[in-house]
Amino acid sequence: MITFQHVTKRYPDGTVAVDALDLEVPTGKTMVLVGPSGCGKTTTLRMINRLVEPTEGRILLGGQDVQQVNPAQLRRRIGYVIQQTGLFPHRTVEDNIATVPLLNGWRRAKARARARDLLSLVGLDPALARRYPHQLSGGQQQRVGVARALAADPPVLLMDEPFSAVDPLVRSTLQDELVRLQTELRKTVVLVTHDIEEAIKVGDLVALYRPEGRLAQVDSPQRLLGAPADSYVSDFVGFDRGIRRLSFFRATGLNLRTEPIAGQDSTAAEALGAARRSGEQWILVTGQDRKPRGWVPAGRLESLPGDTPLGGVPADGFGHTFTVDADSLRAALDAAVLSPAGHAVGVDGDGRVVGMLSYDELRAAIQAADSAATADGSGWEPSAPQPEPERAAQ
Amino acid sequence: MIWSWIPGNGAMIWHLIWENAYLGVVPALIGLAISLPLGIAAARWRWFYPPVLTAVNVIYGIPGLALFIALIPALGLTDTNVIVALTLFSLCVIVPNVVGGLRAVPEPVRQAATAMGYGAVRRLVQVELPLAIPVIIAGLRVAVVSSISLASVGQLIGVSSLGYLFIDGLQRDFPTEIYVGLAAIILLALACDLVLVGIRRALTPWLRGQRQATRSVLVRALAPAGRP
Repeated sequence: MITFQHVTKRYPDGTVAVDALDLEVPTGKTMVLVGPSGCGKTTTLRMINRLVEPTEGRILLGGQDVQQVNPAQLRRRIGYVIQQTGLFPHRTVEDNIATVPLLNGWRRAKARARARDLLSLVGLDPALARRYPHQLSGGQQQRVGVARALAADPPVLLMDEPFSAVDPLVRSTLQDELVRLQTELRKTVVLVTHDIEEAIKVGDLVALYRPEGRLAQVDSPQRLLGAPADSYVSDFVGFDRGIRRLSFFRATGLNLRTEPIAGQDSTAAEALGAARRSGEQWILVTGQDRKPRGWVPAGRLESLPGDTPLGGVPADGFGHTFTVDADSLRAALDAAVLSPAGHAVGVDGDGRVVGMLSYDELRAAIQAADSAATADGSGWEPSAPQPEPERAAQ
Repeated sequence: MIWSWIPGNGAMIWHLIWENAYLGVVPALIGLAISLPLGIAAARWRWFYPPVLTAVNVIYGIPGLALFIALIPALGLTDTNVIVALTLFSLCVIVPNVVGGLRAVPEPVRQAATAMGYGAVRRLVQVELPLAIPVIIAGLRVAVVSSISLASVGQLIGVSSLGYLFIDGLQRDFPTEIYVGLAAIILLALACDLVLVGIRRALTPWLRGQRQATRSVLVRALAPAGRP
């Protein structure tokens, strides 16, 4: 556990970077510090490993005041990852990762063996061990940075904008990897970002800063989206927070319908029958592997001979599907919005169709999930929706 | 040009080359040994750099021959005289490169090293100095090459070097000797420069395959050779 007790950082010119901060980071959780630039979030982070010394207040790490610990010793127990990676250009990947074990006096062979284990842990090919950092892509370098921070198995990991310098696709992958790693490692992580999406995606808790180094709200991502403390918070989390909050509800529990779905070898008459039984205007056509091929409107089939195979009928695209076991209600809603039929198609891990549901059915499921979440207290206040006049005006 | 003069005096030429090499390389190495602590201090304490830089530049402004003569009362007409003078000159090219090399270490790298738990000294030795090697050696190359050419001026105060061939050739009105001396100095400088490039490459395996400034500094380095 990391505890900030009334911590203030005031620079000699009078600038206050962090103002009387009280904050607790529970052991094994990911706390994301988020806010506009200059709000003091990075200063907060860097006071934990004494790269910055507080002017007032105390910071306790596992109950011990960090001011009482030799900085070099303290830092070897705290992993540190920064945006520019800060990898040592003159050391190979394995020696970069082995840095802290070597500082702790490990033998080189043992430290390198540990480095190779870590390469696999962060999803890199151990064959990269002998490369130099400049020979890796930005995303790979950032993974090496994470591996280096984890090398001595520190209980605490500090990450300063770790994914800001890589392209959006790689960033998203790295965020997923961090979440995966955390379920395995359960480090106490403090991550700084200016990206609220990232905060919501990777954080167990989010501390949202105001510009002047004060906290606006510390809460779970669900509550930050569902019950913002004031208009500053609701503005910062953005106008689509209602939809984004759906990311926290799994799609697993959805009741999916299997009609009208027809394989490409079925006939037009069979498909029309299924459409009539379910009262739907669109039929989902699947391939032999049960992967979705597209939507066909019932009207298109009525003029055709009854024995026409569906495979020969032109189909409209289906936008995208959602994976029932892995995705959230947000992905399901998005699939429904993009579908010409207004239906979201759920697939299994191999992309085979499990079933589908309409926009209206999805809306009912979302409301049910909402009230369930409210009942068990894990998020979403049953209060009236927050008015957002500034955003609505745009 | 009388080619037959060369084999007839091979032993003497060879001897002069070695003397000249000694007078060129030793001052550059002593200069490096002095420049490292000076440069490290100047990179660490910013206020310290301007006076150091001014001092080494003023020394560099003194004509070589004048410095040799100024040192005669203290050191006489000796090798030491030339070595001390050339060491002082070499500071001017090595100190700024030590400072520049250390300052060019990327801030994130320095910060990461600190955050990993390096103390100041260990960080300097294991991270900052290795990364500054290419720039420091670039300065050393200039120092070695210019010391080699300036050492020949030491002949004017009687310290033996390839400069002997210039003076002897002039006095005897025998151009061959002058040309041979010139060629020997250039080849010697080139050889020392190549050795240093080799050392730089061996010390910086991480730069292999990366684009780097391999252009010889000989052109720059030979420029100060023209002065008395």
